[in-house]
Amino acid sequence: MPTRFAFLGALLASALLAVPSPLLAKAEHGAAAAASTPAAAAKAVSVVRVNATSQPYDFLRPWSKRPPYQRRAAGAVLPGGRVLTTAEQVANATYLELEKPDSGEKSPATLEIVDYECNLALLKPADPAFLASFKPLTVGEASAGDDLAIWQLEANGTVLNTRALLTTVEVGEYPFGDTGMLLYRLTTSLQPRESGFTSPLVKAGALTGMLLRFDSRSQTADAIPAPVIRHFLQAASAKGGYVGFPHAGMHTAPLRDPQLRHYAGLANGTGGVYIRQVHPGGPADQAGVQKGDVLVAIGNNAIDQDGNYADPHYGKISIQHQISCANFDGAKVPFKIMRQGKEMTLPVTLRYQDPSQSIIEPFTVDKAPRYYVLGGLIFQELSRQFLKEWGSEWIHKAPERFLYYDAYQEELFRDDPRSRIVIMSNVLPSPCTVGYEELNCLVVTKINGVELKSLADIEPALAKPVEGFHHITFLGHPGEIVIDAAQAAAIEKPLMRNYGLPAIKRL
Amino acid sequence: MRRSVWILFVLAVSILPARAISITEVRKSLVHITTTAQEPNYRVPWNPGGVNSGAGTGFIIGGQRILTNAHVVSNARFISVERENDPKHYIAKVRHIAHDCDLAVLEVSDAKFFEGTMDLSFTNQIPPIESSVSVYGYPIGGDRLSVTTGVVSRIAFQQYSHSSADSHLAIQTNAAINPGNSGGPVLQDGKVIGVAFQGFSGDVAQNVGYMIPVPVIQRFLKDIEDGHYDRYMDLSLTTFPLLNPAQRKSLGLGDDGQGVLVGSVVSGGACDGVLKVGDVILSLDGHPVQSDGFVELDGERMEMPEIVERKFKGDSVAAHILRNKDPMDVTIRFDAAWPFQIQASQYDIQPRYVLFGGLLFQPVSRDFMRGNQIDSLRVRYMYDFYLSEEFYKSHPDLIVLSSVLPDPVNTYLGGFRGGIVDTINGEKIKTLDAMAAALAKPAEQYVIQMMGEGRPIVMERAAVEASRERIKARYNVRNEQNLSE
Repeated sequence: MPTRFAFLGALLASALLAVPSPLLAKAEHGAAAAASTPAAAAKAVSVVRVNATSQPYDFLRPWSKRPPYQRRAAGAVLPGGRVLTTAEQVANATYLELEKPDSGEKSPATLEIVDYECNLALLKPADPAFLASFKPLTVGEASAGDDLAIWQLEANGTVLNTRALLTTVEVGEYPFGDTGMLLYRLTTSLQPRESGFTSPLVKAGALTGMLLRFDSRSQTADAIPAPVIRHFLQAASAKGGYVGFPHAGMHTAPLRDPQLRHYAGLANGTGGVYIRQVHPGGPADQAGVQKGDVLVAIGNNAIDQDGNYADPHYGKISIQHQISCANFDGAKVPFKIMRQGKEMTLPVTLRYQDPSQSIIEPFTVDKAPRYYVLGGLIFQELSRQFLKEWGSEWIHKAPERFLYYDAYQEELFRDDPRSRIVIMSNVLPSPCTVGYEELNCLVVTKINGVELKSLADIEPALAKPVEGFHHITFLGHPGEIVIDAAQAAAIEKPLMRNYGLPAIKRL
Repeated sequence: MRRSVWILFVLAVSILPARAISITEVRKSLVHITTTAQEPNYRVPWNPGGVNSGAGTGFIIGGQRILTNAHVVSNARFISVERENDPKHYIAKVRHIAHDCDLAVLEVSDAKFFEGTMDLSFTNQIPPIESSVSVYGYPIGGDRLSVTTGVVSRIAFQQYSHSSADSHLAIQTNAAINPGNSGGPVLQDGKVIGVAFQGFSGDVAQNVGYMIPVPVIQRFLKDIEDGHYDRYMDLSLTTFPLLNPAQRKSLGLGDDGQGVLVGSVVSGGACDGVLKVGDVILSLDGHPVQSDGFVELDGERMEMPEIVERKFKGDSVAAHILRNKDPMDVTIRFDAAWPFQIQASQYDIQPRYVLFGGLLFQPVSRDFMRGNQIDSLRVRYMYDFYLSEEFYKSHPDLIVLSSVLPDPVNTYLGGFRGGIVDTINGEKIKTLDAMAAALAKPAEQYVIQMMGEGRPIVMERAAVEASRERIKARYNVRNEQNLSE
């Protein structure tokens, strides 16, 4: 007979700020097995090593960087003395260098253009003649069913050529940002090499993709496809400077449900997708597209019930690709829509949308996080990178309010005057912060009565102490805390010494 | 004056000598309780739930009443009680049950049960730390009396895990308290000092058991004197310790270690309109409040809420506060217990739900969250921040589409699982009752918009009507809705 009794299991599970595991997604080298080399080495070398030393910021201690780490990758040599690699490879790089695979000769490199959303980067050697002996690759094309070659580099400089079957072409997730882009899905059996998984994909001597990720268990890989590379390179050579991939500023939902089709005023059996959200002020909104409209075609491309169009090369592909990759910033594209049974065509001017303009940045790379330390209280701006400091399980472990803000930011902060969410991330205990030690991860609404729209507002706010005190107002408990202005100024230097802060602020 | 006090003291000692009672006498008051319970199934809310049985301990407290833990007799369908040295099983009924403090009073209609029994009485004070205690009961399923002894290890506020949402004073002891001891008396010098009720599982901590102390028991017994349990009263606010010298100075406080800051006030709670965020509570009910949130009660340092713990519906407490440096006296009235219980485990109720076109809609509650693996961040957030973000104002019920019973009428709606209902045909939906009413209104189609920016769910009346009997038969649904608990 089971006995009933109440237990207090969860009490010990403390709700303290979890210590996040190191951010570093370690390069997956290491087990460089001394396997035999079935390398059908290319005669003229078109691949160069890209060596990056990277040092991301520590978003929980925003004044310091994490320990540097090195990653080696293979880059594709392009005409004009430039090298294409993934943006992941150069993210947070403090030093970049190119290395000739055969001779090991090296040249420092500079980053010409990087676009984290499409995960591509262009490098240039410091020595213009460094790539003279290479045979540049041109960008080709591939389709589902093709056999591609993945070019990795052996330790001795020869090319390790692994075959990969291109099984699927579809829109999928990229490492940075929230935008889906075209991907090649491949089946391949890749060997681990120190040049990692950033490697060129080649078909008939032409560059058709850049390897993005590889899963050794399922023996599948994803690659950045030729159309995305072509778009990136074309935008990179634009006269007005590089502008990223454009967006329409709306979200759609499939229109398979016959009850929803009736509701939207459509007959069965035809295509079209339901526009469930239109970003205010965005391209679709400016063109007059409304929530509840049905998008039936973009230009001459009819859209089916799932939001796909028939791509001449790839077949059924999401219109996301049509909007973002087949067009460039500023392109005027006719959207054919149905509204309450009536058809109309609205010209939408597609625009690049800078992710750093989001109220909570989806990714923060190469940029030092802003902070301000007042008497030991650490003020920062909420970003997804901050949440990712909770480790691989961050989506469950980071503070729930912040996760919610991040996940629903488009909906929550549409009419919010803030451009950033200012938070008090933690407290460095000091004579100023007695009694405040356990406060962390709170949203700061005001300082000295001044609303904080971003961390830039903190200094003007701190210039107005009330009777010698700084009043810090939080969203919710504990309401307000107080710091002695003179004391905070006086302990700046000792606090910096004590905790090893190089600076009291970075704004 | 001093002399009379002295005489009273002596009298008290001579009249009521601390006298241990024999085990024979304790046996006369112990009750072995066996409960058959039926726990509702929040995944299949129309099912009556699985039947299981459990055992616990109780003791006779006078007035032909048995005191035990609420969790021993929760969701009970049948309760039988046995005495030591009497082979007969008697049928018992719950007369009063308090889930917020895990106590219950049982009655036995057969008066024979109480023949030859002895009532246990309570001490009127909290036992000192390190004093010896004995725990009586029927642990780990046995039906023979077990006694364990130990000392009072600690006296502090504890979460009462039966509701998981309430904290009260509890006494910690190192006397072994095991499953089955629940509801049993803990004695010191022949008097009850507590009711054993919870412990840690062995892989968390050793020799840590908890008892419900006399102030909590007496409060329960007093509350039910009028025949109705009104639940605990609550300040419905949070306080923040005032330890920071700059903060104290700016609030106009000296270095006297007094006063706590009001950090948040739940609107609609007892302090709404009486206290404001930023007020400093200097004393409550005549007890000075120390800056770490403690007060002195009965010679013990205790958390400030303990003052309110001893209050009843209709009571009020005076608070001396500082608002914008001005001293003020305010009165906090306790008119009713806090109504929104979604974060507390609930018992003796049936899950509420509405099934419409195979879509199962349920209000969020602690039991619902435990029964369904809800991964939606929106649901988790709105549940966890229900009080602090005051979601109870806009959504007294947070209605979640918890599952979809597949049928042609809902073929394309699987992706809506985990969403929260916002509007139906343009009408904001605040409660499950309102939802049922909106879906009962004649309309050609029902447009259900979930919170967020997804597309609407559109259900055509004719299609839903045609699906009703089909879905009921296919999924063995007994009722399409239950609106009352």
